[in-house]
Amino acid sequence: MTDRPGVLGARVTRVEDRRLITGLSRYIDDLSRPGILHLRLVRSPFASARIVGGPESGFAMGASSGPLLFTGDDFETGITADTSVDGWRSSTQPLLGRRRVRYSGEPVAAVLHEDPYVVEDLAESVSFDFDPEDAVGSIEAALAPGAPLVHEDWDRNIFVTRRARFGDLERARSGADIIVKRVFRNSRQAGVPLECRGALAEPDGRGGLTLWSSTQIPHLVRSVLAGCLGVAENMIRVVAPDVGGGFGVKGHVFPEEVLVSALALRTGRPVKWIEDRREHLISSIHAREHIHVLEAYVRGDGRILGVKAQLLVDAGAYSVYPWTAGSDSGMAAKALLGPYDIESYQVEDHAVATNKCPLGTYRGVGRPSAVFSMERLMDEIAAEVGIDRFEVRYRNVVREFPYATVNGLLLDSGSYVEALDMMKELLTAAEQATTVDGSSRLGAGIALYNEQTAHGTLDFEVRKTPIAAGYESALVEMDPQGRVTVRTGLQSHGQGMETTLAQVAAHELGIPLDHVRVIHGDSDAPYAMGTWGSRGATLGGGAVARAARAIRSKLLDIAAYHLEIAVEDLEMAEGSVQARGSPEQSLPIAILAAWANTRPAKLPEGMAPGLVVQKSVDGPPRGAFSYACHGAVVSVDAGTGKVALRRYIVIEDCGTMINPMIVDGQVHGGVAQGIGSALLEEFHYDEEGQPLSTTFMDYLLPSTTDVPEIEVHHLVTPSPFTEYGMKGMGEAGAIGPMAAIANAVSDAIGFPANHTPLRMTRVWGLLHTEGGEDPVLTRLDELGLGDFWETPTSPPDEISLAGGQ
Amino acid sequence: MRVTLNVNGVDHTLDVEPRRLLADVLRHGLGLVGTHLGCEHGVCGACTVLLEGRPVRSCLLFATQCDGLPIRTVEGLVSEEGELHAVQQAFITAHGLQCGFCTPGFIMSIVDLLEREPSPDDERIREALSGNICRCTGYVNIVAAVREASRLMTETSHD
Repeated sequence: MTDRPGVLGARVTRVEDRRLITGLSRYIDDLSRPGILHLRLVRSPFASARIVGGPESGFAMGASSGPLLFTGDDFETGITADTSVDGWRSSTQPLLGRRRVRYSGEPVAAVLHEDPYVVEDLAESVSFDFDPEDAVGSIEAALAPGAPLVHEDWDRNIFVTRRARFGDLERARSGADIIVKRVFRNSRQAGVPLECRGALAEPDGRGGLTLWSSTQIPHLVRSVLAGCLGVAENMIRVVAPDVGGGFGVKGHVFPEEVLVSALALRTGRPVKWIEDRREHLISSIHAREHIHVLEAYVRGDGRILGVKAQLLVDAGAYSVYPWTAGSDSGMAAKALLGPYDIESYQVEDHAVATNKCPLGTYRGVGRPSAVFSMERLMDEIAAEVGIDRFEVRYRNVVREFPYATVNGLLLDSGSYVEALDMMKELLTAAEQATTVDGSSRLGAGIALYNEQTAHGTLDFEVRKTPIAAGYESALVEMDPQGRVTVRTGLQSHGQGMETTLAQVAAHELGIPLDHVRVIHGDSDAPYAMGTWGSRGATLGGGAVARAARAIRSKLLDIAAYHLEIAVEDLEMAEGSVQARGSPEQSLPIAILAAWANTRPAKLPEGMAPGLVVQKSVDGPPRGAFSYACHGAVVSVDAGTGKVALRRYIVIEDCGTMINPMIVDGQVHGGVAQGIGSALLEEFHYDEEGQPLSTTFMDYLLPSTTDVPEIEVHHLVTPSPFTEYGMKGMGEAGAIGPMAAIANAVSDAIGFPANHTPLRMTRVWGLLHTEGGEDPVLTRLDELGLGDFWETPTSPPDEISLAGGQ
Repeated sequence: MRVTLNVNGVDHTLDVEPRRLLADVLRHGLGLVGTHLGCEHGVCGACTVLLEGRPVRSCLLFATQCDGLPIRTVEGLVSEEGELHAVQQAFITAHGLQCGFCTPGFIMSIVDLLEREPSPDDERIREALSGNICRCTGYVNIVAAVREASRLMTETSHD
């Protein structure tokens, strides 16, 4: 694998780009099939209601060539995503709401017609007789005494409550000079890919079907379809065509995917559903919406002895597959202590049910919220103790690796202090170089954090999620010409895997990059978990490396046999196998590949023909930890509260990089999403659970004028646990900005900015109320959250790794 | 209604309902699916095409409004010899795209910008592209792609 120095780690341009910039890409709405029917969903206008009559429609149904109408009564199946955690409350998301609806936007009927315009007209004419009931539209409303129940057979609006206690918190409390207690909040946000969801199913006439879906997880979709439809899994193929962004949103199995497939089987015709933007904003997957109550026990010198944390997440109406309703709160609980050496920790996390769009995963999963809270807390501690933002972190940061955290994680490698050193220098210079006018205030802030990536199987076993596998697989085949095809169950929707996985194969086999083709997003590849959780390059790339290495080994064996040279005296070089030191003794890979595939008689005795290898790689049991330090310089208009992001600096370490150009791009994109989280993006609901952010005029995505030039610097500490020392990095950029920017805004205005996004009105409010305590603090007892803050009971210490991606 | 759309220099005459959007007719009527729909309410800019040489949202226009008018889409940028437009080439070189969904809209906006203003500075680039949303790239490399395209186009015009 030393043959083509430079292929691995090189900033090569992407092989997929030409297709994408010339109109040759094929996203889900670009696909059609003969005889296709278009599906339009009728959605509930109420957040909580019983369906007492209907449907009525303005069209005749059932005629052989006319429109078709289906309701919840037509489907028994639904999507259930439970964990085996004690006390879990189960929900099933129906394909179409039956008898009652639990959030505004929940689909209640499906209309099919051959014309995509006409089907929208028809769907608008469908009505039901709803009997609206009181809804719960917030965490506080859901937990208040006497709150209406989202699921009528539950006793409380909570999917799950988990408690864990690590180390001696009582000793931390009694040894503390000060106790810092704060409340932190993020509003509801979402990944919002620019392409909405969509699916097209075509029956195959044998009881099976092909589903094309804009998904990150083709195999998981296939498995759920098989279960819900009662169709053998080998009769189902799921293909993700070009996918216009995912960010975790498309890493779920959706009722709509099952519905489209069921309707195709029922009608015997291809059925296509393309979500519109309003539907996406009210009824796909939301994220964030946390309230964290944190208490830190701190010595006078700023050393943190222990942390107690109560984490509340508004998980919406249903538990989503496969991450469950508990993924965000669990991940936040697991990740809260981050890069710090803290010896005791007690945490309680609640996934609260409300009459809102289901909460699922979005880039970072719980960690943007956890890092926001922890890093704001660090600055609050610094202020209480009277030291600066760097010093408080120097006094608590992990310095020796590997480091076993008090809650059972193993930080494999890193150089956190070096990141702080670099940031101190860069941020100080950036702040000094930034000028502001008289009406604005300048501020700077940082966020230091780490991220468990490439989660292994053990992690999921401990989490008790519906999926319990952390491996990824690849099938690598060298054909008679010596060209290579890589098949992976990953799906590349912007990550550039057609390039990076080819770089890995080219590196291992000593062949040019353009001799490798990568096929992804197709369940006809070996079973795999899909693209999520910062795992594609590390695990998928690792599997490609191992499979390619096995092919390389076979090529060497064949060459050794013919050249009569020992394998250890051979090397791969520029498309050939040659003798070390005597390149005239060589055999081209194309000849060896032709023999292996088409001339078995040329092979050493006993060697099987063919050059096809499948390998899988499981994630390290405790992950491979990437980390970063983000720094922000902001100016805040004192008159309006408007925040301008003036500089943004990233120092990141994801171990060995396959393609630094792509890494930089991923960091830029993640940071931009984090900027949206910090300053702009917010789903509003009214008290009745009505969504108020239903267009891009209300849900504000960052534009070119909101995102500054993002400065990216790399440190490289390879993981000891992965191929090449890679660590995942797809999510990392999105994790830090909420914290870094909120810290900078707090610095600028002189009051803690503890609730994101920091839109103008919220900052203006802070400036005019001089901060003020979060009202939830006085309501903890009323909301049933007070016990946690009483003298602690002592449940047994346990390793808790519950959490999302 | 019978309309004639001149798309990328070729006349297409077809019957369309008055309510059909230009984007839908381009995509499903003419099979030019390189123009994408991201919001269908005129904010995201993914559906941007050039109408009479100016960028427009093809999701906010009816095809019938464009009868007889020249339209350019991303499919029309590649030369007959298969050579990429400078803006397309620059997107590859500068890694200006990730998932590619917003990219045709950006490319059309940038083609318009650079045809009018060959050497915009960064502030002007960001202002000119503020009507196109990208969720993947953070815009850093899109701005770099505009700089690169500007360089390529200026060099070519000086040859």
